[in-house]
Amino acid sequence: MKITRRLLGKAALGLAGATLLMQVPAMAQDKPAPFDKPGAVKIALVRYLSTGDFFQAYLSGVEAQAKALGVDLRVLDSRQDAALQADMVDQAIALGVQGIIIQHGLTESMKEAAQRAVDAGIKVVAFDVNVENPKIPQIEQSDRDLARLALEQAVKDNGESWKAGYVYVAGIAPLDRRNETWVEFKKKYAGINEAAMFGTLDNPIANSVANQARSVLSANPDIKVMFAPYDEFAKGVKIAVDEAGLSQDIKIYSADISTSDIAAMREPDSAWAATAATNPAVVGQVSVRALAQLLAGEDPGHNVIVPPTLITQKDLLDKDIKNMEDLSAKLPQFAHADVAMPAWMPNPNAK
Amino acid sequence: MGNDAVFRVHGLRKSFGHIEVLGGVSLDLHAGEVTVLMGANGAGKSTLVKIISGVYERGGGTMSLAGDDFAPSTPAEAIRAGVVTVHQNINDGVVADLDVATNLTLDRLSGSGAPTLFNPGRVRREAKAIADRMGLAIDLKARISDLSLADRQMVAIARAMAHQPKVLILDEPTSSLSSAEADRLFALLDRLREHGVAILYISHRMSDIRRLADRIVSMRDGIISGVFDRKPLDYEGAVNAMLGRKIHLDRIVAKNSAKPVLMIDGLRIAEGPRPISLTLGDGEVVAITGLVGVGKTALAETLFGVRKPLSGTMMLNGKPYAPGSAGEAIAAGVFLVAKDRSENGIVGDFNIQENISLPFHKRMSRLGVLKRRIERTTARQQIRELGIVCRSEKDEMSALSGGNQQKVMVARWMSQTAKLFILDEPFQGVDISARRDIAAKLRASANGRATLLFVTELDEALETADRILVMSEQTIVGEHRNADIDLEQLLAEVAGGPLHSAS
Amino acid sequence: MSSGWIEMAAARDHAIRYGFIVLLFGLIAYFATAASGFVSPQSAVFIFQSVAITGVLALGVTATLVVGGFDLSIGSVATSAMMAAAYVMVVLEQNAVVAVIACLAIGVIVGLINGWLIVYMRVPDLLATLGMMFLLVGLQRIPTEGRSIATGMTMPDGSVANGTFSAAFLALGRHRFDFFIPNLIPVSVVVLLVLAVLIWFFLEYTRFGRMMYAVGSNKRAAELAGAPVKAYKIWAYVISGVFASIGGVLLAARLGRGDIASGNNLLLDAVAAALIGYAVLGAAKPNAFGTAVGAVFVGVLLQGLTMMNAPYYTQDFIKGVVLVVALVFTFALSGRGKR
Repeated sequence: MKITRRLLGKAALGLAGATLLMQVPAMAQDKPAPFDKPGAVKIALVRYLSTGDFFQAYLSGVEAQAKALGVDLRVLDSRQDAALQADMVDQAIALGVQGIIIQHGLTESMKEAAQRAVDAGIKVVAFDVNVENPKIPQIEQSDRDLARLALEQAVKDNGESWKAGYVYVAGIAPLDRRNETWVEFKKKYAGINEAAMFGTLDNPIANSVANQARSVLSANPDIKVMFAPYDEFAKGVKIAVDEAGLSQDIKIYSADISTSDIAAMREPDSAWAATAATNPAVVGQVSVRALAQLLAGEDPGHNVIVPPTLITQKDLLDKDIKNMEDLSAKLPQFAHADVAMPAWMPNPNAK
Repeated sequence: MGNDAVFRVHGLRKSFGHIEVLGGVSLDLHAGEVTVLMGANGAGKSTLVKIISGVYERGGGTMSLAGDDFAPSTPAEAIRAGVVTVHQNINDGVVADLDVATNLTLDRLSGSGAPTLFNPGRVRREAKAIADRMGLAIDLKARISDLSLADRQMVAIARAMAHQPKVLILDEPTSSLSSAEADRLFALLDRLREHGVAILYISHRMSDIRRLADRIVSMRDGIISGVFDRKPLDYEGAVNAMLGRKIHLDRIVAKNSAKPVLMIDGLRIAEGPRPISLTLGDGEVVAITGLVGVGKTALAETLFGVRKPLSGTMMLNGKPYAPGSAGEAIAAGVFLVAKDRSENGIVGDFNIQENISLPFHKRMSRLGVLKRRIERTTARQQIRELGIVCRSEKDEMSALSGGNQQKVMVARWMSQTAKLFILDEPFQGVDISARRDIAAKLRASANGRATLLFVTELDEALETADRILVMSEQTIVGEHRNADIDLEQLLAEVAGGPLHSAS
Repeated sequence: MSSGWIEMAAARDHAIRYGFIVLLFGLIAYFATAASGFVSPQSAVFIFQSVAITGVLALGVTATLVVGGFDLSIGSVATSAMMAAAYVMVVLEQNAVVAVIACLAIGVIVGLINGWLIVYMRVPDLLATLGMMFLLVGLQRIPTEGRSIATGMTMPDGSVANGTFSAAFLALGRHRFDFFIPNLIPVSVVVLLVLAVLIWFFLEYTRFGRMMYAVGSNKRAAELAGAPVKAYKIWAYVISGVFASIGGVLLAARLGRGDIASGNNLLLDAVAAALIGYAVLGAAKPNAFGTAVGAVFVGVLLQGLTMMNAPYYTQDFIKGVVLVVALVFTFALSGRGKR
């Protein structure tokens, strides 16, 4: 089984519709209704957030899985307008779709819209937004697991006793969940001492965090570990560590990954030791698969969790991983998650 | 009707700080009569109008309307009592983004008793009634911003007339109208006069005054300096009373110049009037006088390159001169002290020294870097020569009196040698001693250049110039050597009457 | 009585003139005792480095403030230049010189367009540059369809970009000059100081700078003094655009990649520094020295507060307080705002 090198970015864009039509009939026969007839199923992706690498990759995963299933995908993008996003659910209902994926948004604005869709007999799954509806499976990347993997690696590398700097901005849901794990870890290991907590979302985030981290490092030159559970934070911290000439003395642990993160981790003497990440494209695929299971009458479970992968500096160097595609190719657990994967489900990563 | 005044002002006084602006003004307005009020800038006309219309509180004196005491404390009160004012700036009187109908009924949309809901049908009915009464032929649905200035003016007046006032005050209503537009306004005023409204009409334009006036009242320095109501009206007398004439103790000795500096041939600054041709000589100080709005500033700006003439040629020291910008004019040696210094001259953030050097940075710098020492010595020299009262050349402009500010403006342009030195209203807002200083300095330094002044006040011309030219209706209508001047003739030319013998 | 009055006026004059400088030194003294490690050459360099980028932007926007304008597009010019640098090196695989030239060209072009919109199309400055800001935020995403640029990224057409940030370019963000202590002063700080001295000299000592102030104070008077007012205005926006693009170069060199960002925080911090600058030495007008002091002031505050573990929102709050106080200094106490 060969894994596609076109996982990120281009998947759906690159291939012409003709190829799609040629591939699908051969595969469609073994699938349950309604997927036995190609093009019969229409689904909608209703987005709240869309700009940035993560969301691009997520969309490409959704598109790839939709194509593999032979469903007609409509993308409705509210560009961070909560009210518009709710309206778009109604729009999707009017379009006559059978399934809807709600991607991000606010509980308050989406709860009722989601209920209306369910009432209209439409299957709904939600990614990273809690719509408080037992009929709607929640797709989640486990932020707690992300933080846990990174911190376990930190303990493995540095022992159970060290002085830490922590980057955190309260009020951002995934960061809050990652923070819970950090609080647990500090309880579990009494030797971990949080010397400084800082963080900002002023953009460019890496630049602003670098300025803060410089100040923190000059106030606390004895920090050994920086826990920066968001890759933009980690990039900023790395810039500050480099500028302070401390890259040999400090190790950075983070969450999330991108091509430029890989480059930064691979630099000689890079302080960035490890990161834990969920492949956003995989999350996209899982979102579509969970929805497909619902449509086929199967139950994906209420919480569909996409497990994260730990990526260490050593992995990247040993396996000569230079970008996201290498990562998918050389770390199979990153490219595909065996979640919502019944036997009939086509794997978009397979050729 | 006849001689009983419907509106009467008696002994009106007003001071701002310790400057007395109105020194006991008495004025009668009669029903069905147009009284024209003339006065130079600063004579107190607008203060008088503002007291009558309830904007200012009076400092003393009485006013009565139809025999009753009249003392409005707000403009609205004045309007309710029956005294309506149409201000100079047309756009203050109308709301540009609303249609004509709404504008005509604007006063009824607010205030007590106005219905809460806006009823377009009722508004249009009321507006139509007003328009019909005034004979206003304008599409009621048109937006004000799409109308010509004259039409806007008509709307403003029509709305004012909706109150059926006894007294209507118009403050320079034609200053931004073309003559065809003005004719429509006059027709409207004729109709109002027939309706028995007492009209106070403020204007400088002699053609307006000749067309409309039943009486002329001249104002000067805060008092009434002349009332003319015997027909035929004595227009020259009115202008004379307005401009005034004091005895000149320091009568100047007029010089003649042999060497021409600037020759203007067939210059036209507006459509219509006779083109301007004149010659200015070396060492000569020439004043161009005329009422406000006759084109003095336009001519000054044309000579200085910020305005394009319609036709004509200029020669400066024998070479063709056609400046395309102020920069080119300055480079050619033509300098202008613009009128209204706070608007066109003073750089508020700069001190005296920096204000003086402003046009001559290039001459005072090397490789773009200013030579501050030269800047400072230049400023000090000018301060000394013009007697500018200040602590040092680093003083802020705001710390100076009006006269000293004006001296700085003159100093700015006297710091370098000019071929033609133009001053537009250089004595505006300047006290008498500063005025004398500036005039003396101009005369003393006159050799080597031609000096041209534009002044409205005749006194200023008589005190400073060797030769006086009179401007009227965008052209030159008279020329006088400042020795044994025939003042009657000169005043007649200023008043723009039938020309007796002017060339 | 009158002598008492004069003394009071003199005291007030002094408060206006030196108040902000005294406040700055007071702040440094306070942080020196409250936060260990605050006073050291390295710490001083940190402060300068942390404000280098916003400082350069602030110096640029000062030029537009001088001519009575404003430039809201500087933040997005900086991030667009950053994207352009990354694009030129990573995607087009060009060298550092080409990248820097591309950035500066963006600054010049944006400045010219801003100036043209404002001077010839008569669009009010705030609106013109606001429009330009939105335009650039969108434009910088178009070549990569919204992706950030880093070596090894996948392009929209599926190819992989293999160019790298050249070492010479990265040195702009990472190289340090020896200054008594080896490896002390980063390039960005040198750039900031050089540009600050340049623009200060330009505005205070050359005839062009002087005329720009005249244009800002009384446009009509400057025009009648023979100045090509339109050209000066356009030049001011070009200066602002070029400085912003230099800020973008420094940003790209520091981050080592092209990051999608609106640059709004850069804009706000830069404007804050320039406005705080009004209060320095009682200038009550935009000035380069004040802008530099304003930027350092903000840097000292943020460095000190971060060292004391103050969370980011209190820092924003305090930044706002400083700005408001500075504006009160400028407009109420000195009384020049009234004119």
